[in-house]
Amino acid sequence: MNGLATELRIEHPVREALRMYLRNPAAVAGAVLLGLIVMVAVFGPMLYDADPFAIMALPLSPPLSPETPLGTDYLGRDILTELIYGGRATLAVGATAALLSLLIGVTVGALAGYFGGAVDEALTRVTEFFQVLPALLFAMVLVTLFSPTLPTIAFAIGMSTWTSTARLARAEFLKLKQLEFVTAERAIGAGDMRIVWKVILPNALPPLVVSGTLSVGAAILFAAGLAFLGLGDPNTMSWGLMIGSSREYILTSWWAVTFPGIVIFVTVLSVTLVGDGLSDALNPKLRER
Amino acid sequence: MTRPKTSFRLTLLAAAFAAATAVLPGLAGAAAQPKHGGTLVIGTTQVPRHLNGAVQSGVATAMPSTQLFASPLRFDDMWQPHPYLAQSWELAPDGKSLTLHLRHDALFHDGQPVTSADVAFSIMTIKKYHPFKTMFGVVEAVDTPDKYTAVIRMSAPHPAILLAMSPALCPIMPEHVYGKAENIANTPLNSTGVVGSGPFELAEFKPGQHVILKRFDKFFLPGRPYLDKLVIEINPNETNLVIEAERGQIQVLPFVTNPRDLQRLAKDKNLTITDKGYEGIGPLDWLAFNTARKPLDDVRVRKAIAYAIDKNFIVKVLFGGFARIDDGPIVPTSPLADPNVHRYPLDLKKADALLDAAGHPRGAGGERFKLTIDYIPGADDLQKNIAEYVRSQLKKVGIAVEVRAAPDFPTWAKRIAAHNFDLTMDVVFNWGDPVIGVARTYLSTNIRNIIWTNTQSYRNLEVDKLLEEAGTELDPLKRKALYGTFEKIVTDELPIDWLIVVPYHTVYSNKVANLPTNIWGVMSPLDEVYLK
Amino acid sequence: MTLRFLLRRLAYAAALVLAVVALNFVLIHLAPGDPVETIAGSMGGMTEALRETLRHEYGLDRPLPVQLWIYLDRMLHGDLGESYFFNAPVSALILERVPATLLLVTTAVLAAFLGGTFLGVLASRKPNGPLSQSITVLSVVGYAAPVFWTGIMLIIVLASLVPVFPVSGMRGDLASGTGLAGMLDVAYHLVLPAATLGIVYLAFYSRLTRASMLDVLGADYIRTARAKGASEATVYYRHALRNAMLPVITVLGLQFGNVLAGAILVETVFNWPGLGRLAFDSVLRRDYPTILGVLLFSSLLVVVMNQATDFCYRLIDPRIKTG
Repeated sequence: MNGLATELRIEHPVREALRMYLRNPAAVAGAVLLGLIVMVAVFGPMLYDADPFAIMALPLSPPLSPETPLGTDYLGRDILTELIYGGRATLAVGATAALLSLLIGVTVGALAGYFGGAVDEALTRVTEFFQVLPALLFAMVLVTLFSPTLPTIAFAIGMSTWTSTARLARAEFLKLKQLEFVTAERAIGAGDMRIVWKVILPNALPPLVVSGTLSVGAAILFAAGLAFLGLGDPNTMSWGLMIGSSREYILTSWWAVTFPGIVIFVTVLSVTLVGDGLSDALNPKLRER
Repeated sequence: MTRPKTSFRLTLLAAAFAAATAVLPGLAGAAAQPKHGGTLVIGTTQVPRHLNGAVQSGVATAMPSTQLFASPLRFDDMWQPHPYLAQSWELAPDGKSLTLHLRHDALFHDGQPVTSADVAFSIMTIKKYHPFKTMFGVVEAVDTPDKYTAVIRMSAPHPAILLAMSPALCPIMPEHVYGKAENIANTPLNSTGVVGSGPFELAEFKPGQHVILKRFDKFFLPGRPYLDKLVIEINPNETNLVIEAERGQIQVLPFVTNPRDLQRLAKDKNLTITDKGYEGIGPLDWLAFNTARKPLDDVRVRKAIAYAIDKNFIVKVLFGGFARIDDGPIVPTSPLADPNVHRYPLDLKKADALLDAAGHPRGAGGERFKLTIDYIPGADDLQKNIAEYVRSQLKKVGIAVEVRAAPDFPTWAKRIAAHNFDLTMDVVFNWGDPVIGVARTYLSTNIRNIIWTNTQSYRNLEVDKLLEEAGTELDPLKRKALYGTFEKIVTDELPIDWLIVVPYHTVYSNKVANLPTNIWGVMSPLDEVYLK
Repeated sequence: MTLRFLLRRLAYAAALVLAVVALNFVLIHLAPGDPVETIAGSMGGMTEALRETLRHEYGLDRPLPVQLWIYLDRMLHGDLGESYFFNAPVSALILERVPATLLLVTTAVLAAFLGGTFLGVLASRKPNGPLSQSITVLSVVGYAAPVFWTGIMLIIVLASLVPVFPVSGMRGDLASGTGLAGMLDVAYHLVLPAATLGIVYLAFYSRLTRASMLDVLGADYIRTARAKGASEATVYYRHALRNAMLPVITVLGLQFGNVLAGAILVETVFNWPGLGRLAFDSVLRRDYPTILGVLLFSSLLVVVMNQATDFCYRLIDPRIKTG
């Protein structure tokens, strides 16, 4: 691409980012952990053929019982099986919600930041409108309205959390559109769409990618919160559902709530470490130190 | 106390409701001297809307309401009535009128005397606002020949009219206060400035948080109440309440059903657990069938489902032994329950055979057909857990069950009210006498779009006749026979698979004496309770 | 900053709040079931006559746009109506619970802000050093654990196993008023809930401060200051921190407005008698007037905080062009 100024591209950006990333032990640990979790979630059910809803033993058996290494839940279902099978739904909801949030947020923010003027005004109003709604309450109302199934929950979370991404995207686009190479592109007659897609977006991507990654963690927590309040999908095993259902037994059977809690925690931890690592790796200011 | 003047039949009535001697719980404890003073804290997960049980029935309001408002009679644990506001009473031989002779010395919290006008006003108000038409449905009017005599006139004999005089069902309000309210159903007087004649006055009510009651010094039973203060702490988390009970911050915790909590509390040497006190409400936990939908319109399918469910598992495993099985529409602790009903012990082979015979062979993957099951949210051990157990059991006989979660009560209620369900879990109360709380589920005239009516669309004209007859029959033996026949028919036609009696338990500190264990439990006046 | 500008902002803010309330009015009314079902549930049954009476009384038998109009009209006259569940004025219910939520959130946020900023600055000193790494990881730990899970664990450990703190609620001795004893009682009950909520915010602020500091430290004026021979301390605290605080304070302001969402879960776990709990319960009960009253309050708060934050930001940073 001829028209691009060189200040942002020295070595191939992806390779440089990767190198920076790998220098960061916490980020690497996070990536490894996340990779492990995703592998177990995706491939676990295929390799470990069992029914997470099947009653295996006495309810609330403690860990290290014969057939159930992590104990059983309130109905006698094996917690380990539930954890393995629950990963898919939890991660799927988290990823979908984050993706939805990202899509809406970036679209709104990009359009607002790039076009400015009346478009910006209007879209900022819309963003503020959604920001004023308390996220959890709004999601609750949506889930109640549409009944708690996985797609509904992902949709509700996505709709409640896109405003921060929109703000970020808007700020990035505002900043980037002032830069020289955009003026240059305009000078050679490039249309708006081309400028947005080919020029600004790739440069705005780093903070957006970071934001998207982090929002996966936030979405998983949000979904767990909804499940805790009783708004999870009871027909699909998920970690949030495990916590929500076993909440009443915490006093006598801590394992039913603690293990899924730990797993959610580790997942969000690893996602966040990855997001942090990406943020540091893609941060040009750090490169100069 | 004056013995009620009764006819021979009515003596039988009393006897049928009880074994010989009825000893008031208070008298039993008379050996120990009650100590005056102190504060008792009761924890509850139920949220009362307000404190006036006359216009708001249900267990949440009943507890505070029975402290604030007195009623004509009170009951013991043998279903025997005792004087309360009424010092004596007569039921006419034809059963169509009940005369109450009120005490002359009862005062309301504002110092005004309790008169028959108040009784008349209250009963007619309750009749207007009560969700069960059968409670005061036959009451035509309440005459007040003099200041302390009230005559309840009925269009037909009402076998449960005495029971309807209980504190939980018949709070007496002052007409000079509530009669002036613009709309008694939502007057602020139901929440603040409440005036009744019960042992306690209202000190503070914070909706959704707590109720603070203080001793009424001019209560008509001298020396009572023994307690200075009564606090009802409202906390929807049973776990928190359990911990507080263990730490002694709460002295009484009623309506506990969670078996793990019960097991844990049972080990605590400072606490006692009792399952007495819930016979009055007679709570049943059951699985209801929508008989208007295929394939549930076929009784063989319903029986197959019943054979596939192991009630022993539910009792022993899910409830750790703290519950008891119920096999019919009338709760087993009721004097009118009949043990000779049709039963369906676990038998998967029979279930399979019935389903095959009903014309539902197994398809590919072993599945015969699909059903959905609903449940009341928020009461997981009673509802959701059993629904999930049902799902896993029915899978074994080839029925694929989808558990439909409702995020909250109105969503569930709407579905069931609209008859938009296949199977649903439910908790329904008998409310003391079958005529009050049982008939509504089985009468073909009560198939409506409201919850806790005959949403199962069950129709049997013979059952209708039996229930109507038993509803106006005063002879207890005849009634029992009629209900017996009713139970046999209904347990054969299975519009519902009754599972267990809801295992409500009251946990209380050993420091508490004279906690009522009559049929209404803590939903009765706590005037005799004291702290050791 | 002309008066006209301010008035325009005010009018806009009012319109925004109105729109929020209207949207939620519609959404909540569309949810299955209505308050009459809740009342039926609380009574153990319902007759058709009673149901019709209640529906008529609550205006539920009228078309939705009419109901909306009536509600908005009343609201603009200051009447928030009565709770369908408690039959008590909504404004009284809300005012009664606001202090509890404000107390909880303010305590948690302030403690988290102070602690988090401090940790974030520490972590930004040597971004790849061990201290920074451990602070980063620790703060992520606080952020990654589900807040209700943290709360439950704290209750188990510090209120059950080792009964140091109260289990739930805001007051132990329910009669104690607003004297010193009462305040101490509330403070004692505040510890666990505020700690639970604070841990999440702490993690958040430390991460944010660290990121913001790193962002600022690369700027020209920092290099200039260093070149001029200023000590590290001066560079850090006088120059970098003050500028790094800008986005953090922005977020503080914006987040403070979103009081409700953060509080719901903690108030639920600890049975803290606040607004979040009231809102949640009211949705479940379809208590429309209460839900809308709480949303109104929350929206007003957010809008006010947004404008205030915006205002401060403009004052502090003259580089932002208006419009």
